[in-house]
Amino acid sequence: MANRTDPAAKSIRGTNPQNLVEKILRSKIYQNTYWKEQCFGLTAETLVDKAMELDHLGGTHGGNRKPTPFMCLVMKMLQIQPEKEIVIEFIKNDDYKYVRILGAFYLRLTGTDVDVYRYLEPLYNDYRKLRQKLPEGKFSLTHVDEVIDELLTKDYSCDIALPRIKKRWTLETLGSLEPRRSVLEDDFEEEEEKEENDQLDGLEEEAHEKQDYYRGRSPARERDRDRRRDRDRYRERDYDRDYDRDYDRERGRGRDRDRDRERDRDRDRDRDRDRDRDRYRLRDEKDYGRDRERDREWEGRERERRDRDRGRRRSHSRSRSRSKDRKDREGGEHRKRHARSSTSPRRRDGAEENGTREEPKKKKERKEKKEDGTDHPDPEIAEANRLRASLGLKPLK
Amino acid sequence: MIEVVLNDRLGKKVRVKCNEDDTIGDLKKLVAAQTGTRAEKIRIQKWYNIYKNHITLKDYEIHDGMGLELYYD
Repeated sequence: MANRTDPAAKSIRGTNPQNLVEKILRSKIYQNTYWKEQCFGLTAETLVDKAMELDHLGGTHGGNRKPTPFMCLVMKMLQIQPEKEIVIEFIKNDDYKYVRILGAFYLRLTGTDVDVYRYLEPLYNDYRKLRQKLPEGKFSLTHVDEVIDELLTKDYSCDIALPRIKKRWTLETLGSLEPRRSVLEDDFEEEEEKEENDQLDGLEEEAHEKQDYYRGRSPARERDRDRRRDRDRYRERDYDRDYDRDYDRERGRGRDRDRDRERDRDRDRDRDRDRDRDRYRLRDEKDYGRDRERDREWEGRERERRDRDRGRRRSHSRSRSRSKDRKDREGGEHRKRHARSSTSPRRRDGAEENGTREEPKKKKERKEKKEDGTDHPDPEIAEANRLRASLGLKPLK
Repeated sequence: MIEVVLNDRLGKKVRVKCNEDDTIGDLKKLVAAQTGTRAEKIRIQKWYNIYKNHITLKDYEIHDGMGLELYYD
């Protein structure tokens, strides 16, 4: 029978290797014309020829979930179960990127944890473009290293639930693997040394930082960026793991911008604040050389304080606008800010709150969206709205 | 806000609250959150009409309390 696994094949993860693909998808593949016509009686050699003809990868697409040829070939490999050497040859070959991806995918499904990391991580250096078929039927652009990253970090790819593998740090602590050495590590070390050497003028680092920050930045903000970003970059690298990326990165940057930059926005309140800010900036530069740890903790604390203060602030301004007229409110806040400006963190909260036009607007929008939904009086609806917010949908009407 | 009932006739019957201008794709995400299957694996049908992901519930004329069939891909 064409669909039976090779009797000499070993069982993978305790079951028939074809069972790695779940039942519904399996039946879809068996009924597919590509499978019936091209994949009949394939051996390891002829499979290579078919793999070289691949021009896109993907799972199923369309209304009736038609599998891609990539899927069919993965299934065929599971059926005939080629030797590990052959699979590694697939991965090592440099000419055909789809053959490489096919081998990598198969290894991810069937290989041991150590093998998976050992053979798939070198593929991180391959940055060639790939064509991926989306479930809607359209094609999208992706890269080899992106696909490998998906295979190693996510547990679902191309409509197949990938088997669970141990996390990398578990294997490192067990001693089966060495700590990950990235090819870019040497470049990073050079950059860090340069950073430490010239703290004050980081003109040459602008190019690198453009790359780092591009994702989170809006074009308007790019215009106002300051050169001195050493601290930002260092913090960003360490922070990525601990904090929610975009939100905190934006805030961190905003805060540093408040602190360090010359502002060219017209705000009449700025005049007095500039004085305080300069004082503050000098203090910061001293800190930077000394103790980055302290900065980081302090930042975390500062963020909490700012959250608290912002809530308080906002209610103040709201009540104010209701009772008094605009001018009084502005005057009052200006006065209040003055009183606080002696203590630097609080002052920076003031700066943040009425600060950059772009940031509070964005943050307020984000907060409003959630707050409008999730603080509904009816608990069921609030719960539903929370779920919707987590999925990225608007709240219920 | 409407509430739609999805039944797969094998034991899974879920009631989902959603907006009329949500798309079927959004509805699938909500159903996935409630049932535990993946959103990409869910197929919503009505007799032989498979509902497409990018069309809103309003356009499919799905009203409050309507029952839909839940299938898996």
